[in-house]
Amino acid sequence: MGLYAYLSLAAVVFSIGLFGVMTRRNTVGILLGIELMLNAVNINLVAFSRFHGEVTGMVLTVFAICITVAEVALGLSIVILLFRTRRTAMADHVDWLKG
Amino acid sequence: MNTSYPLVIESGLFTLLLAVFLLGLVRRRADDLLAGWVTLVGLAGLTLAAWSAEPGRVALEGSFVLDELSLFGKRLFLLSGLLSVLATLAMTHPSFRRRGTEYYVVFLASLLGMLVLASARDLIVLFVAFELMSIPLYFLTGFLKGEDAAPEGAMKFFLIGSISSAVILYGLSFVYGAAGTTNMAAIPPAVAVGDPLMLLGLGLMLGGLGFKIAAVPFHMWVPDTYEAANTPFVAWISIAPKAAGFVAILRLYVEGVGEAAVLWVPLIATLAAVSIVAGNLMAIPQKNIKRLLAYSGVAHIGYLLLGLAAMSVSGVGMVLFYLVAYLFGNMGAFFVVQAVNGAEQSDDVEAYRGLARRSPMLALSLLLFLLSLGGIPFMAGFWAKLFVFWAAIEQGMYLLAFLGAVLTVVALYYYLVVARRMYIEDPAVPTPIPVPAPLMVAIGGCLAGIIVMGVYPEPWVQAFLRVALTLFSTN
Repeated sequence: MGLYAYLSLAAVVFSIGLFGVMTRRNTVGILLGIELMLNAVNINLVAFSRFHGEVTGMVLTVFAICITVAEVALGLSIVILLFRTRRTAMADHVDWLKG
Repeated sequence: MNTSYPLVIESGLFTLLLAVFLLGLVRRRADDLLAGWVTLVGLAGLTLAAWSAEPGRVALEGSFVLDELSLFGKRLFLLSGLLSVLATLAMTHPSFRRRGTEYYVVFLASLLGMLVLASARDLIVLFVAFELMSIPLYFLTGFLKGEDAAPEGAMKFFLIGSISSAVILYGLSFVYGAAGTTNMAAIPPAVAVGDPLMLLGLGLMLGGLGFKIAAVPFHMWVPDTYEAANTPFVAWISIAPKAAGFVAILRLYVEGVGEAAVLWVPLIATLAAVSIVAGNLMAIPQKNIKRLLAYSGVAHIGYLLLGLAAMSVSGVGMVLFYLVAYLFGNMGAFFVVQAVNGAEQSDDVEAYRGLARRSPMLALSLLLFLLSLGGIPFMAGFWAKLFVFWAAIEQGMYLLAFLGAVLTVVALYYYLVVARRMYIEDPAVPTPIPVPAPLMVAIGGCLAGIIVMGVYPEPWVQAFLRVALTLFSTN
């Protein structure tokens, strides 16, 4: 399989993630969508790294995975905080700030 | 201090972060004020170190550079951080004071990300620094978790911030794929030959960075976040992360690219025009002053992009001038908002009725800040606007400059609505508004900034043009 097969796979995964982010009503679902988008990036990076025969792309992938975990951990804690005060995890119900 | 080592400011800031963290562990139930003062003194020292540092050194095999642009960024981030910490010391909220040390540690972590970002010349360093800057911001937005609005503001900021991070990273993967290396020096040659993968990657990254700097149509998070978060922090995120976004844009799209940078002009000019028009129009109906400043901030981002769209030495130099003028004007306005909120417990424009009779100095300060933001002569903001329009006209973008000038009048209208409330209407309660000493110093510093830059802009302009020249002269 050539490079473009991997790039296409990544593009499909990224699009599914973006679609999920746009259409999901549950904040945890939106977080899952973001995870898919970030994993598409990792496929891209590893494919390019392999294609160029150069290792820094894989290093970047490891960094990306670590940082993403930190980001999602913070996101889940915000969801819990929101759930404690509002008793809901639905994005639609979070609408006190407007204007 | 030995300033010959390029990472000295970052090392200093990291040491300060650890010191504040350990202080929080040792003095568990103590009042937070000590941590705040330690942070303030440390930041003041680092700001002085940044001012005395000399450009022209690299570290980590070229991944980390200390050039004119990075020094400009570091000074701006440290100065805005210093002002914000000063104002934070005036926060009397009990639930804030109890956990104050946490706030300062996370604040310094975000600042560290910005300082590294200013020097990043490698995609990995750029990405890690960007995330180190962004992730603490989500936490700090929701810091007053007992308040109803805070978790909601944090949630919205987090979701939009992480989606934009994912888009930036997706673009970055294509940039890496096209260049075959993570060194950013490989970008200009690929742009010059018009490599489609590189252009796709940089285009995606521009979209993601648009979210971070809050240009229309990527601005939805701004008003909600500003309304939900505590004011000294809002004053800081209204300028520092946006300046960081501009530094990243200058590094990726301008530095060393030369003539080929013209490629991005239509895209940036469109973003600029939409941001100026939408930001100014949406600010008009706002009843809450933080939301009003949020939308006016979106318009200011538009003016900054207008300078960038000129893609010339004078355009980029004036973007830097505008950033500094905006720093003083906008942070100052938010500090006055904080003082009024301390007395009135409200951010409504209604709360400013008769402020001139209650606290004449406070009202005059806010008036001067708003006039500077609106671009009235002999304030910093006037020169900033004039210079970006001039840079755009130099490049033949008459329509864009004309549009910007017309919308400036709209901006003056909503700033003067606030001024009318302060000066013409009668106060509901005649008592003066108490201003804590640190907050007064912060407001005074911002006032000095807009007046000095307004009366004597010449040396600033020369310094910023020199920075801009280094971006265009490399290669």
